Amino acid sequence: MTFDHAPFLFGPALLHWVLVFGCFAGIVFSVSVLIALGVYGASGPTAVMGRVWQGLHDFLGISPRRIWAISLLTIKEAVRRKALFVFVVFASLVMFAGWFLESDLRADLQVKNAVSFALTTISWLTLPVVLLLSCWGLPEDIRLRSIHTIVTKPVRRNEIVMGRILGFSIVASLIVSMMGVVGYVWIRRQVPNNAELICRVPVYGELSFLDREGNLTDKGVNTGDIWEFRSYVEGGTRSSAVYKFPMDKVTDNVRFESRFEAFRTHKGRIGQSLLVRYVLVNPTKGLRVPLGSFEVAEFGLNEKDVDRQISFFDEDKNDNRTVDLFDDVVDQNTLTVEVQCLDAGQYLGMARPDMFIRMPDRSFVVGYFKAVVGVLLLSIFLISIGVTSSTFVKGPVSILLTFTVLLVGQGFREFMLKLITGEQKGGGPIESWYRLITHMNDTLQLPDNFGVKLMQSIDNLFMGGLWLVQHLIPDLSYFVMSPYVANGFDVPWSTAMAKCIAMTVGYLVPCLLVGYYSLTLRELEAK
Amino acid sequence: MEKQPVIQIKNLTKIYRDFWGRKKVRALNSLSLEVKKGEVFGLLGPNGSGKTTTMKLLLGLLFPTEGEINVLGKPASDVSKNEWIGYLPEESYLYRFLNAEETLDFYGRLFDMSAQQRKERANQLIEKVGLQNARKRQLKEYSKGMTRRIGLAQALINDPDLVLLDEPTSGLDPLGSRDMKDLIVKLRDEGKSVVMCSHLLADVQDVCDRIAILYAGELKELGSVEDLLKEQHETELLTSKLSPEAVIDIEAVLAKHNAKLLRHGHPTNSLEDLFLKTVQKSQERPGQRYVPTGSEKT
Amino acid sequence: MIEQLTAQQRKVAYLIGIVVLMVPIILLGMPATDEASSGGQLARLRQTHDLGESSLGKVDPTSATMNLVLLGMRGIAVNLLRMELDTQKDRKQWAQMRATTESVILLQPHYIQVWRYLGWNLAYNVSAEWDAVEDRYFWVKEGAKFLMQGAEKNRRHPEVYWETGRTLGQKIGRADEWKHFRKFFKIDPDKDRYPNGPDSDINPEGKDNYLVAKEWYQKANDAEEQHEQHIMMRALFRSYPARSQLDYAEALQKEGLFDETTRNAWSLAYKDWVEGFGKMVFQEDDFEIYLEADAKDVDQIADTSKVDRPLVERAIDIHQKVSNYKFWRTKAHAEMQVNTQGVHRELYEAEQLFKKGDLEASQEALDSGLKRYELMLETYPDLGMDDNTLEEGLWAVMLWQKIYQLKNQIQPEEFPLKAIWEREAGRIPNIQQDFNRKFGPSS
Repeated sequence: MTFDHAPFLFGPALLHWVLVFGCFAGIVFSVSVLIALGVYGASGPTAVMGRVWQGLHDFLGISPRRIWAISLLTIKEAVRRKALFVFVVFASLVMFAGWFLESDLRADLQVKNAVSFALTTISWLTLPVVLLLSCWGLPEDIRLRSIHTIVTKPVRRNEIVMGRILGFSIVASLIVSMMGVVGYVWIRRQVPNNAELICRVPVYGELSFLDREGNLTDKGVNTGDIWEFRSYVEGGTRSSAVYKFPMDKVTDNVRFESRFEAFRTHKGRIGQSLLVRYVLVNPTKGLRVPLGSFEVAEFGLNEKDVDRQISFFDEDKNDNRTVDLFDDVVDQNTLTVEVQCLDAGQYLGMARPDMFIRMPDRSFVVGYFKAVVGVLLLSIFLISIGVTSSTFVKGPVSILLTFTVLLVGQGFREFMLKLITGEQKGGGPIESWYRLITHMNDTLQLPDNFGVKLMQSIDNLFMGGLWLVQHLIPDLSYFVMSPYVANGFDVPWSTAMAKCIAMTVGYLVPCLLVGYYSLTLRELEAK
Repeated sequence: MEKQPVIQIKNLTKIYRDFWGRKKVRALNSLSLEVKKGEVFGLLGPNGSGKTTTMKLLLGLLFPTEGEINVLGKPASDVSKNEWIGYLPEESYLYRFLNAEETLDFYGRLFDMSAQQRKERANQLIEKVGLQNARKRQLKEYSKGMTRRIGLAQALINDPDLVLLDEPTSGLDPLGSRDMKDLIVKLRDEGKSVVMCSHLLADVQDVCDRIAILYAGELKELGSVEDLLKEQHETELLTSKLSPEAVIDIEAVLAKHNAKLLRHGHPTNSLEDLFLKTVQKSQERPGQRYVPTGSEKT
Repeated sequence: MIEQLTAQQRKVAYLIGIVVLMVPIILLGMPATDEASSGGQLARLRQTHDLGESSLGKVDPTSATMNLVLLGMRGIAVNLLRMELDTQKDRKQWAQMRATTESVILLQPHYIQVWRYLGWNLAYNVSAEWDAVEDRYFWVKEGAKFLMQGAEKNRRHPEVYWETGRTLGQKIGRADEWKHFRKFFKIDPDKDRYPNGPDSDINPEGKDNYLVAKEWYQKANDAEEQHEQHIMMRALFRSYPARSQLDYAEALQKEGLFDETTRNAWSLAYKDWVEGFGKMVFQEDDFEIYLEADAKDVDQIADTSKVDRPLVERAIDIHQKVSNYKFWRTKAHAEMQVNTQGVHRELYEAEQLFKKGDLEASQEALDSGLKRYELMLETYPDLGMDDNTLEEGLWAVMLWQKIYQLKNQIQPEEFPLKAIWEREAGRIPNIQQDFNRKFGPSS
């Protein structure tokens, strides 16, 4: 298991957010002004401006006490509607899950299964409850007109939205943290004696390649893999993968962990895996320190500890030498490692996340509860969407909408991207139907006539809509942090946690705005 | 003493539209009226006449199609006016999973009241509406009467200047009804303005200073209860018991003044008569509206 | 008047309606009990046409539930899973892929081709992706276990049994890594889980892989008697248990075992082949044949079935050719002789001596072995067609030549097997290449 880990850059992300948000706000504002101008004449734009001014005023004048009142009400409502009952379901599931998880598996796989199970169950039980609660709360309030008793008090409509979101988030936190603790205890008990719960803290480097003549390239050889994730270096040549790790702390030893892939062009030595060697390089000093070779454990883990003092045979000087890892090898806070395959004619494949320096492990609790927070963040995201959508549609529709966001965000973004980019053959919806009905293969050219042009231009509209949806719905798979923990890794701050927090906040803000305006601009009558 | 208007409604029209924006119902048609400070104002009319719509428009729950509303000197859409308003909805749409104390505490928070204030006020109101024995029970266990009481209590949580009561006595037994009316009178005595709507005439007659009769979204009558019930073309004399001779004498006197005795006996005219008459008239001649005269404008 | 029914009357009406609707449901759908011809119409139809879940094999309650829950969406669900399977395969997420495989099969527990394909995929495709032999073996086992599970759930179908046999026999016994695999089959490399023994799931008794395969082929044959298979010609299909015994004996020999065990293996193979497979009855259009029929038997078949003799002969001939019947009969017969085993042993030992560097002893053994080898071919000329036998002989000649080279002697003009060496010149380059890889190129 490797993690593709583009780090989260706050600055550009914020800029992007501001741009998108600003554009949307601008478009909505201009369209409103135009419509108001058309419908109400000259007084229209003034009214729109008034609304904006009023909105600003309402957002500045929010009262924490009122928001808290509504949150408290929301929490009481959820509790008295027995939302916490889901915890009982979780407890009973967890109680008996041990019976159904395979216990004759390899110890590390058992750990993986147990951790995945606990975290997946937590999210699968929490999310539906959160979804139902958040989408049902406001519409039910409107239907029963309880909301009349609230909005006739000096409550700003944004306070209602905020209070609801906050309240449901607290309920979600309650549920998730209770489950988290029980899940943790359960995992502890479930782990077999010969296994342990690990929480690695990896430091990844930058990867480049040297080709067989030793020239720098950014990609290695493609051995015909459909998945172009890994690049290969040829064994027995100067070809190698060059990892540059940031090194700013001095430690007594360094542990490299890697997962490389082997590709054989001939049978070679059956019964022995390909040989791999690390060479530590200091390009400034021209120092090359080869470490002892090892057999690659394909799809497994290669662990290599390097002490601070390294003794090696220097081929150039034809002598045994000892160097200091930090004084001699690390160059400008960077440790350069060349990975070579020693078997001629065989290939070794790697990608950037395939090799890392393992820092001292964190406690498993840390990683585990980070993943639990991931579930909570996803819940809060869904709550924001749910509450917001329930300000303008009824409960069932809101549930459907939020569920769709969840579904699409979790699993269909890639497919949508394929559709938009045209990688998925067959054209838009109408063209696909046309091809289906006429049994027309997707490789066949459509005739060049007006009908086809019309069809394709309508399809393009659909595609435009799809593009928008694809860009509006975030990649919710980031919130699923259980793979990190299940595979014995800490949940990284920058690539996972920060991203998810930013995503949650990034969507919360527009949600509040949309919720506020749709509550303000609608008559709160159940119709 | 000239009384300040707490509510000013000018040419208020409300048209309900369906999903496609087509006009469905004209719930209010060019309604204009004013409610003065310190009076109990009654909105009277049969079901569907636009009373509740008027009330919701006043509260900003509905948006007017045309016209202007001013409540406590502010437009109806301004939330800040709610600081001084108490509202008892037609049915008490309160949160059924809360008990009386929690309910009042919750609404108290919405007025940004401190914990101490909330507690005091809640105790005071629970006593005022007579729910001392049910303060810890969830509202879903309440009877209709109790629900009205707690509804009134929440409307008064902020000690409002203007109280809007939608059918305050509906669902109350005669005793409860009496209590409610006493409370309303007490509110007036405290200098608060009250607007109530009802189709129960006796209630209105008992407590209202002025009433407006609505029918099919139009204002049909407006004025003080006494004035409206007074027959302008008739004079009523109330005497001690008269002998038949005395009656004949009186008739003679009347004849001299070109008038005649129409009926003698006990006075029976009531709001009910007026109301029925108004409704009947409206049905016979729809479209005729009450137009405020110069003298009405104060 | 319907509108005027009271609530009670309405309830009675509903009740009657329910009862009326229940009758056909019960008549049609009542499940069968253990007794024959019990249950409703559908259950009985299922029984007559042998379609019931339980008659297909072991019923997995999860699987049945899944299919129920999915209502009519099973096809779509399977499609999605198969797409996921492909992605996981491309991304080399083997563990997840294994889990997806289970999900697919949960939805399609009685699709024979699905079992066959997915099992083959695990044992052949996935195993080849791994570099360490132990890992490859693990995936071959996964494939085999998966197929066993499939056989269990589809007891009527011979195909999955056969596929299991093939994985255990040929995948393990003939892969490039066969030497390792065959060892692993008896002593699993996963020492933690199977300390010093075989993986009890696939080889509980610690037997040879070919013998276990033979059992599975036999099960396939048993099932085949009830239910037609669609993989290959029947004569070939039914030869597999006996073939597996032949493979077993041959593998022992390849591993340098030339004692009683090997001879017993061969003689059992001969018995299996001639008396078992050879006496198996195959149905032709109007008559029945068996492969071990001699002239007298052919007459008898022709007489009893009243068909022409040449017709019978031709049918037998076709069947024999398909299964290479005569060759294997000869081979087994030859190999079960003490003498033949002696030849093999002598040539094998010559190579061992050569490896030890004892060129003299090696040469001596070769001289004697090659002579006996020639004799063997004279006795069983058919063996002269057998790849393995020929390779053994040619290899020995190469070794013989190599010794002369190493001793810097000129090799004699005449040598045993010269005739064959010249006849089979076409085979030599390939074998020579292997030989050179092992012992270094000839100077």
